[in-house]
Amino acid sequence: MTLARFLRIARQRFTAIVRRGAVERDIDRELAWHLEQSILEKIADGASEEDARREAHREFGVLALVTERSRDARGVTTINGFVDDVRYALRLLRRTPAFTAIAGLALAAGIGTTAAAAAVVSFVLARPLPFPDGDRLITIRTDAVEPALFARAASVHQYRAWQARSASLAAVGASRGGSHVIAAEPGAPPLRVQGQAFTPSLFALLGVRPEAGRLFEEDDHPFGPRALVVVISHRLWQRRYGGAPGTIGRRIRVDSVAREIVGILPADFHLQADNIDVWIPLILAPAGEHGPAQDTPQLRVTARLRPGATLAAARADLEAIAADLHPERAAPRLDISPLRRTLYGWTRPRLATLGAMSTLLLALSCANVAALLLARGTLRRRELAMRAALGASRRRIVRQLLTESLVLGLAAAVPAVLVTAFGLPAVSAALGPPPGLFRLTVVPFDVAVLATVAALCVLSSIAFGVVPAIAGSRVHPIDALHGGTARSASGRSWRGGLVALQIALADVLLVAGALLTASYVNVSGRELNFEPRGLLTFSYAVRADEFIRPMPQRQGSSVFEVSPDAARTFETLSDRLKQLPGSRGVAGISFPPVNSLVLPMVTVQPLDATRDSLGAPTAAAYFIVTPEVFATLQTPILHGREFDARDGRDAPWTIVVNEAMARLCWPGGNPVGRRVRLDLGDGERPREIIGVVATMPARLDEPAAQPAVYTSYLQQPRYYRGPAVGMFAGMTFLMRPKGDADVLLAAARRAAAEVSPERPIDEVGAVQSHLYARLAERRNYVTAVDTFALLAALLAIVGLHGVATHVVVGRANEFAVRRALGARRREILALVALPSLWLVAAGLVMGAAIALPAARLLAPQLWGVAPTDIPTYVGASATLLGAAAIGCAAPMRRALRCDPTARLRAE
Amino acid sequence: MPKPSDLLQGTLDLLILKTLARGPLHGWGISKRIQQLSDDELSVGQGSLYPALYRLENQGWIVAQWKESEQGRSAKVYSLTRDGRQQLERELATWKRLSSAVGLLLKRA
Repeated sequence: MTLARFLRIARQRFTAIVRRGAVERDIDRELAWHLEQSILEKIADGASEEDARREAHREFGVLALVTERSRDARGVTTINGFVDDVRYALRLLRRTPAFTAIAGLALAAGIGTTAAAAAVVSFVLARPLPFPDGDRLITIRTDAVEPALFARAASVHQYRAWQARSASLAAVGASRGGSHVIAAEPGAPPLRVQGQAFTPSLFALLGVRPEAGRLFEEDDHPFGPRALVVVISHRLWQRRYGGAPGTIGRRIRVDSVAREIVGILPADFHLQADNIDVWIPLILAPAGEHGPAQDTPQLRVTARLRPGATLAAARADLEAIAADLHPERAAPRLDISPLRRTLYGWTRPRLATLGAMSTLLLALSCANVAALLLARGTLRRRELAMRAALGASRRRIVRQLLTESLVLGLAAAVPAVLVTAFGLPAVSAALGPPPGLFRLTVVPFDVAVLATVAALCVLSSIAFGVVPAIAGSRVHPIDALHGGTARSASGRSWRGGLVALQIALADVLLVAGALLTASYVNVSGRELNFEPRGLLTFSYAVRADEFIRPMPQRQGSSVFEVSPDAARTFETLSDRLKQLPGSRGVAGISFPPVNSLVLPMVTVQPLDATRDSLGAPTAAAYFIVTPEVFATLQTPILHGREFDARDGRDAPWTIVVNEAMARLCWPGGNPVGRRVRLDLGDGERPREIIGVVATMPARLDEPAAQPAVYTSYLQQPRYYRGPAVGMFAGMTFLMRPKGDADVLLAAARRAAAEVSPERPIDEVGAVQSHLYARLAERRNYVTAVDTFALLAALLAIVGLHGVATHVVVGRANEFAVRRALGARRREILALVALPSLWLVAAGLVMGAAIALPAARLLAPQLWGVAPTDIPTYVGASATLLGAAAIGCAAPMRRALRCDPTARLRAE
Repeated sequence: MPKPSDLLQGTLDLLILKTLARGPLHGWGISKRIQQLSDDELSVGQGSLYPALYRLENQGWIVAQWKESEQGRSAKVYSLTRDGRQQLERELATWKRLSSAVGLLLKRA
């Protein structure tokens, strides 16, 4: 068949469907014309008009019959048959509102949640990135783990080499982010905003167009005036300048440097973080220049692949270039990932879980509706047999039943769209991005989502409709004569299987829900060993380049010189805060005690080898603190004391270890008084352990108690080896208010402004809300998962109830006769309960068999509960058994009510 | 893909295609011409003609178009497509094979 012919035929068929009336009129007109021609011919032959007309009609035949056959040939009648089926199906749905409601809601739950999960999945995997040709953008990360703030960053050297020599990159750009930038204008209070430094090439390769003004240009030379420019976010423009058109060209001070605002970025621009308000040019040393700063990993590199270049080729290319830079060192390994994965990769575990669960829920609801339809099919046996007796072919009956399923599926689309509309934000919220990445609150509810709902409706109509249609079409015309409800054996076994399947799926979802809920409860109820309630926090950041100078690398790791002024800055503020009248306690710590993004690690070497000491170096998280930090946190001190005024600059150096550290290095003993050495850098001295404190979890969702050590900020070496240096970019202050928290925070703000007007405090809030911000996403996730599990259990029980009821209705006569013959109530109840019990038991066994491997996949998301946790499995089974008992109660009562005389009369 | 058809129906399709091979024609004209060319031996009833025409149209072998007739009235005119021409040749070949086979059988039986 040629394509042209195929298209022509398709058009004709389509016309027959869509323009049925027009096609019918066309046929009528043509036949009428033919008839007229016959008449005219006969008149021309000499017949009278009346005779001619009569004769022509006689020759033509019965007009209606001819018309009907003609329509048949044009494919119009098939459509009419379909329309009739749809009408009939709608009437049927209206006549059985309870069935329609249950089936519709079951489907809506499955379809709606699946469509919501699918929409988020397609957003993450397929929606074009907000950059032109975004799928050729990649991020390049190295295996460098230091300095901590720039983990996995690249050095200027590497960047320059890739820029000059790479054959696989069309363009490459770099950014340096995460640092705090202070934008202040004379007369206005300083404003702490997040900033990023971008190379001009980065904006260009991303394809960003400014909303107003310009972006950076390559000739913004480091020493020229054109380097002193800044691009601001749409948000900052609105907030600070009221969106005034004259903003371009204004000068603002950024980090004490006056810069001209040259451009405003569009509101929807964000690369990774969505809280950036100012961008300054990232000016790198010229290619020929070599110094320690050029060798320090500090850049995030984003690039655009040349057309045709693969990730693997780019990786080989860039690794070879990087290895060539320092042949004496181990070749660096690079992690080249598409920008899409960098942006959305974190959604994977939770999204996969939610997608799988919603798909199981959809399968369950299809099984549920299929079982309901099978049950209804047996009640409709007489009607279908009558149709068969009147000449309907088996195909015709299957078509009718499938049409009914389709109508039911499409009717469910309306509530399904509602479920999707509510499910979409719930699924997005449940994903919870890691800090620093933007949220997925932007997944839109659009035509594509509606199309997904429609497609799922049609697909599930087929899924749940096929078995009932085939079972229903197995009727013999003779059944039309049989009274009552003759039943088909195949339908019954199918129904039982479908109920067991529902129980199994519900069991899987319940187990998954219970495991994740237990993890959430374990995490949120975890012993923190400090009192977050009422504890206020803010961060106080300084510019790293004010106090930190990179030094030549030593033994392959970066070395930094830290100015003593850093400690003095914190000391001044700390002293001011202590004098505030509204405070019961103030302390500073280099990183928040819980949920820090990165924790610098240090190697602790015990110095006094004794019988019970391991004497081996141990890695521990490293915190720099002010005196009285544990009193402020209310962390229990197990041995010794904490830092106080005794631990000054000139006093012997001291250290506090946590319990996990003490247990690891000095098992069974009290380490107070022992001495250790840290591998911080030149100028570090041996430290004496003055106390042991209870272990605070470094991360809320990290199960193991991590060893940690604490030192005073006044007793620090002048030179740091890479890993630990990031802490001098800022300090987190903790305060316990006496009275009103807001009054105290306002006073703290004023104190900070007095110390330095250009360094306002930031990230102000209650520690508890910081904790809960992280927990909230976990809670959203668990809520979504539990909703799926409960819906599944509910649907399974409704399904069981339906089938049990059906058994009772079908066997009512038998029960009545048994009762009349003296069967006891218990025996009748057993007749109803036993088959259901078997189904539930089979379902539970099947469910456990699926849940065990499924839970293993879930293991990385679990906390404090094993994927094989027996009580969870027993609990899920018990829940379903109990619910099944409730589901069977009504049918059992009904079975007992089968009254022999009433049944006889009904016959 | 010709649908399996009985001899009569297949024959009618062949007659219609053959008639249209001489030029476009409306339904009434087709039935007239079949009648004339067969010396009034074959007469096609409207009840068979139009379903056959629509079937052939659905198969893509003929196309229809409303056109002004000589008397200034519009009539639906059918004409053969390229696929239709090929189909005609196939059907002619089939017909010749069949008729010669039937002829042989009648002669020898």
